[in-house]
Amino acid sequence: MIETIDLHKDYRIGKVLFPALRGIDMKIEDGEFTAIAGPSGSGKTTLLNIIGCLDVPTRGKILIDGTNINELSSRRKAELRKTQIGFVFQTFNLIPVLTAYENVELPLVLLNLEPDKKKERIVAILEEVGLGEFIGRRPNEMSGGQQQRVAIARALVKEPTMVLADEPTANLDSTTAKEILALMQELNEKHGTTFIFSTHDQLVMDYSRRTINLRDGRIVEDKRKPKGPR
Amino acid sequence: MKLLNIAWRNVFRHTRRTIITAAAISVGLSSMIFMNTMMNGADKMASRNIIDFETSHLEVFAKDYYREEGVFPLDTIIENPRYIADGIKDIPGIKGITPRVKFQASISNGIDELPVLGMGIDIENDRRIFETGNSVVAGRYLQNSGDVLIGTDLANDMSLEVGSYITIITKDRNGTYNAFDLEVAGLLNTGHPLFDRNMAVIPIAQAQELLAIEEGVTEMCIRAIDEETLGPLKEKVSEEIGAQYEVFTWKEMNAAIFEISGFKRAGQFMIGLVVVIIAAVGIINTMLMAVMERIPEIGTLKAMGFTNSRIVRMFIYEGGIIGAFGSALGCLIGLLISIYLVHVGLDFSGLFENVDIVYPMKFIIKGEIDYVNMLYVFLFGILVSVIVTLWPVRKATKLEPVDALRHV
Ligand SMILES: Nc1ncnc2c1ncn2[C@@H]1O[C@H](COP(=O)(O)OP(=O)(O)OP(=O)(O)O)[C@@H](O)[C@H]1O
Ligand SMILES: [Mg+2]
Repeated sequence: MIETIDLHKDYRIGKVLFPALRGIDMKIEDGEFTAIAGPSGSGKTTLLNIIGCLDVPTRGKILIDGTNINELSSRRKAELRKTQIGFVFQTFNLIPVLTAYENVELPLVLLNLEPDKKKERIVAILEEVGLGEFIGRRPNEMSGGQQQRVAIARALVKEPTMVLADEPTANLDSTTAKEILALMQELNEKHGTTFIFSTHDQLVMDYSRRTINLRDGRIVEDKRKPKGPR
Repeated sequence: MKLLNIAWRNVFRHTRRTIITAAAISVGLSSMIFMNTMMNGADKMASRNIIDFETSHLEVFAKDYYREEGVFPLDTIIENPRYIADGIKDIPGIKGITPRVKFQASISNGIDELPVLGMGIDIENDRRIFETGNSVVAGRYLQNSGDVLIGTDLANDMSLEVGSYITIITKDRNGTYNAFDLEVAGLLNTGHPLFDRNMAVIPIAQAQELLAIEEGVTEMCIRAIDEETLGPLKEKVSEEIGAQYEVFTWKEMNAAIFEISGFKRAGQFMIGLVVVIIAAVGIINTMLMAVMERIPEIGTLKAMGFTNSRIVRMFIYEGGIIGAFGSALGCLIGLLISIYLVHVGLDFSGLFENVDIVYPMKFIIKGEIDYVNMLYVFLFGILVSVIVTLWPVRKATKLEPVDALRHV
């Protein structure tokens, strides 16, 4: 479970402090499929980065399974990212010199897995995201949608407890975006992995069970619905 | 998937950039190798000239002679060379012994007079341990009293040829001027400037007569069987002949020359360093670009949980691989140039025609390859590339992951 208590983040721009988050209180249970919505500049990326241990809040607490991650050393944070957190980026961020298979293999380099098991996992997850035939392709030989699928496979291959996706569909056309969202939803149900993604796209919100709306660094709405469209 | 593997692929992400960088490194390193080969070659030629013409391996002098060798002091010479020759001839490791008489003189062709170094040699013995006898390019070696060998350069300077007559003039032990008429029996081309420009070689008996030193000689030259271990042999000879004589190795007597050559090496090193700095700037630039353009990639790796040290290592491999390519290429080019230098050499004679140089060789320098040095140069190239890579990478990995990810 992820819990934030009065989370604040100020950015310093020259001498001025700009408050990007101004008191975020929320709880996200394990296995939830949550969208963080809001207009540009509302603080979505900032919030996701703090949850993902990439950034630190100025004030307030963030608890993952009861542990205050602010208090962790950067080494322990890296450890947490290595095992518990998968990231999906708006710009895919695949390593261009590596094939789809190798990109997915990358997070496993850090884990001590037997080679056979490693291979099995990589192949399985690539099949799951529908790239069974694209294993040997480099990023520049794939479409945006395919690249994002590789990125999702890369985030999931280490079997993390949560996947954080910052505007995962913003660089994709709407059909592809739908496919990606459906895929994430499917993986969420199948693996029970918590998915938190940011968006300002209505389509994306339609898919989520829960939408947390941000405006100017505050939560203005937190709404749930029973099940998204398939 | 190993880090090395990723680094390898990144090297070929910009093949042209890699090639240019490696080429810059290789130019630097091959120049270093080139210079080393030349310096070694020059030193080797100088050493050969000294050993084969001038001193052989060891020389025995009467005590205090060597200290004033420059003025050829005839009052401190070896009065009884037989005694020394007999005393040491049974020491194992000696290949041959020959006496020589060196003196200041001048020669005249009737018109011009030139100062020369006169040298009396034992006609038979001398050619057993020196190459002088094998360097006669015109005429013949010494045979009779009244014969003289002179260098080709000296012959040119004084318009002499085989069969020409010259007069040799010197002051004897008592301070009286003495002169002999001599016939040029042969011309020497040794490659040793001293011999080719400034030397008049005559039979030893005639030199002794000219100087009024009876049986005396200025030095005894000893050739060893094993050139590398002269120290112990020197000790034995020294012990055998006693304290009224002194023994020196050819290296001791030419320390000054090899000191000059130490200077040269420092110079060579400095030039090499400059070239390497140029190459290093090239690779700094390349690695700086490689790091800068991959900052978001570094951010992605960090987000995945990659530690800084892993990321640094990846770039070090990358710099190291480029460095290894450059070094290998540099060593290859250096080797090819060196092989050319060993077989053909470089002709500096035009450059130094009118300069008097103490360095004992002529200026067609043939190279001498030092493979160990080449290995060092190779490793040096890689090391420089790696060190130079550290700086931009360390800087990039210091960025927080968020900042790295946002970087465009
Ligand atoms: N490094 C930074 N330095 C200064 N201000 C920043 C920095 N990062 C974000 N901000 C500011 O903080 C606010 C929140 O930014 P954030 O990126 O979280 O918004 P967002 O909701 O993700 O917007 P978008 O939808 O455009 O991605 C914005 O006003 C932004 O200008
Ligand atoms: Mg954003």
